[in-house]
Amino acid sequence: MSDIGAKPEPIEVRFRGGGFAPKPHRWIGVIVFVVLIIVAEWGTRSGWISPLTLPRPSDVLATFGELWESGLLLKHLVPSLSRLAIGAAIGASFGIGVGILMGLFSYVRAGSVPLVAAIFPIPKIALLPLFVIWFGIDEASKYALIAFGTFTPTVVATYGAVDNVDRSLIRMGQSFDLSWFSIVRKIVVPGAMPGILSGLRISLSIAIILLVAAEMLGAEYGIGAYILEAGSLYDLERLFAGVVILSVLGVLLSMTIGLIERRVLRWRS
Amino acid sequence: MINFNRRQTLGLMGAAVASGLAAPAIAQNKKAVVGALRFTSHAGSFVAVERNYFADAGLDVELRFFQAAQPMAVAIASGDVDYAVTAVSGGLISLADKGAIKVIGGALSEEPGIDGQKILASDAAFQAGLTSPAGLDGKKFGISTAGSSFHYMGSRVAQAEGAEMSFTPLQKVGSIIGALKTGQIDAWSIVPHIAKPLAGSGTVHIIGNISDYLPNYQVTTVFTSADNADTERDQTAAFLAGFGQGVSDYNSAMIDKSGGEDGVNEMVALIHKYVYTDRPLEKAAPSIINGTMRINEGSRLNIASVQDQLTWFQSEGLVDAGITLDTFVDTSYVETFEA
Repeated sequence: MSDIGAKPEPIEVRFRGGGFAPKPHRWIGVIVFVVLIIVAEWGTRSGWISPLTLPRPSDVLATFGELWESGLLLKHLVPSLSRLAIGAAIGASFGIGVGILMGLFSYVRAGSVPLVAAIFPIPKIALLPLFVIWFGIDEASKYALIAFGTFTPTVVATYGAVDNVDRSLIRMGQSFDLSWFSIVRKIVVPGAMPGILSGLRISLSIAIILLVAAEMLGAEYGIGAYILEAGSLYDLERLFAGVVILSVLGVLLSMTIGLIERRVLRWRS
Repeated sequence: MINFNRRQTLGLMGAAVASGLAAPAIAQNKKAVVGALRFTSHAGSFVAVERNYFADAGLDVELRFFQAAQPMAVAIASGDVDYAVTAVSGGLISLADKGAIKVIGGALSEEPGIDGQKILASDAAFQAGLTSPAGLDGKKFGISTAGSSFHYMGSRVAQAEGAEMSFTPLQKVGSIIGALKTGQIDAWSIVPHIAKPLAGSGTVHIIGNISDYLPNYQVTTVFTSADNADTERDQTAAFLAGFGQGVSDYNSAMIDKSGGEDGVNEMVALIHKYVYTDRPLEKAAPSIINGTMRINEGSRLNIASVQDQLTWFQSEGLVDAGITLDTFVDTSYVETFEA
């Protein structure tokens, strides 16, 4: 009863914030890869996974070693990389250019949005025979296929990014009496850059996917041609060696864009 | 007295009918899936199905159609298909090496004197002097993929002529035709029913016969899963029996013309149920007749030709050098010969 007059104990308020914030755990990704590979290796060695289902990872590595030693790796990699670089450069630069124009000018937008929507879902592989007639079976058709495939996703991403630039910033520029060109250069393009770069992540991955399709026609050398040949020979070791090269290419491209993002988007921090 | 209501009566009747039908089935009727492409060269299976030769041999055959030979080979390896006919390719040998499939007999053959596969040249190359295979040196030869039968034929022809050719992989027959017509490749080889209409259009010229270079080339073979070949001997023998009868009918009607004109027409009508179904019979008939090539009687297998093909694939490094003929072929089912 003596407690009645006493002050109530202060309730300790636990901190309930936190969580929902991803932290970098660098090694987890590596561990996942290693575990998967060990399971595959053990499975194929013990016969639990038949050689028809999956190649033995160590054999894939050995195939990769042979590829490297025979010098064929470079022979395959150089044409593929140049196709990728030229095709993606053409597609992405046209895509960014057209996308910005679409974002800025109503007439361009009204004219191109339905057109882009119409060509986006066309499987570029279906047009391959047509590309052969238009551009021949040499390098030009390969550049064209990759360029065409990277163009549409880049356009969509760029136009969306330009559209999403903070209107209040543009209004502010206008009230400071900036010229139209200045607003585009100093506000619109930098403001659209995050969206454009994340769009590039997607369209450049599509370029890698299309590399295999592009090398279906008349390519003696190239990673895509190598994978197709391995597939038709049902040579799983070579197939996987080729696929791993494509994956590594994808990771490298993603890292490169990450670097560019850090540099170009420095103004954000 | 036992009263049956309607449902029970029907059930009993059904059971009676089923047991009646099932009786021979227990004796033999086994289910088998046969893979086929919609080509005249698969006529053996079509005839055997249409004339119940498979049923007579005790097999309940279901035909399953594919667009290309490669997925069919993989379907055999996965067990979805039991028997099929396809050209010897690097992929087939690799699958055999992995213990998945076995060749058990021969089908289509080149035979001197019978129209076989043709060597074609594009118009541009033809005008520039590629009028016989002797001029193939330095030319571009179209193939579907490395390790395909086109690759083998082209390479053997080039060897015989002492020519150095480059091979252009174009994946699909349609793409090869496009590239040949526009002169982006110089030469190609293909079955007569595709070669002749192409040559008729004037954009492509026939410059030689494969049979001059590979006289008894075993083009296609009958194959099955290694499991079927080893453990299902009765079923496999039954399939070969039914298939052989179909082949025999096809040969006698189309090549030996034993039934005269009517026999040919009847056979064409039968094949037309499966091949060129999108065209009316009158239009399809010439293509079917043009596609006639002899299929080996009794699925006899030219082991010398198969060995030559295996050796070539190995010498090109397309398949493992350690593969022996025994890994690839099970010779216990049919008669083999060397020619």
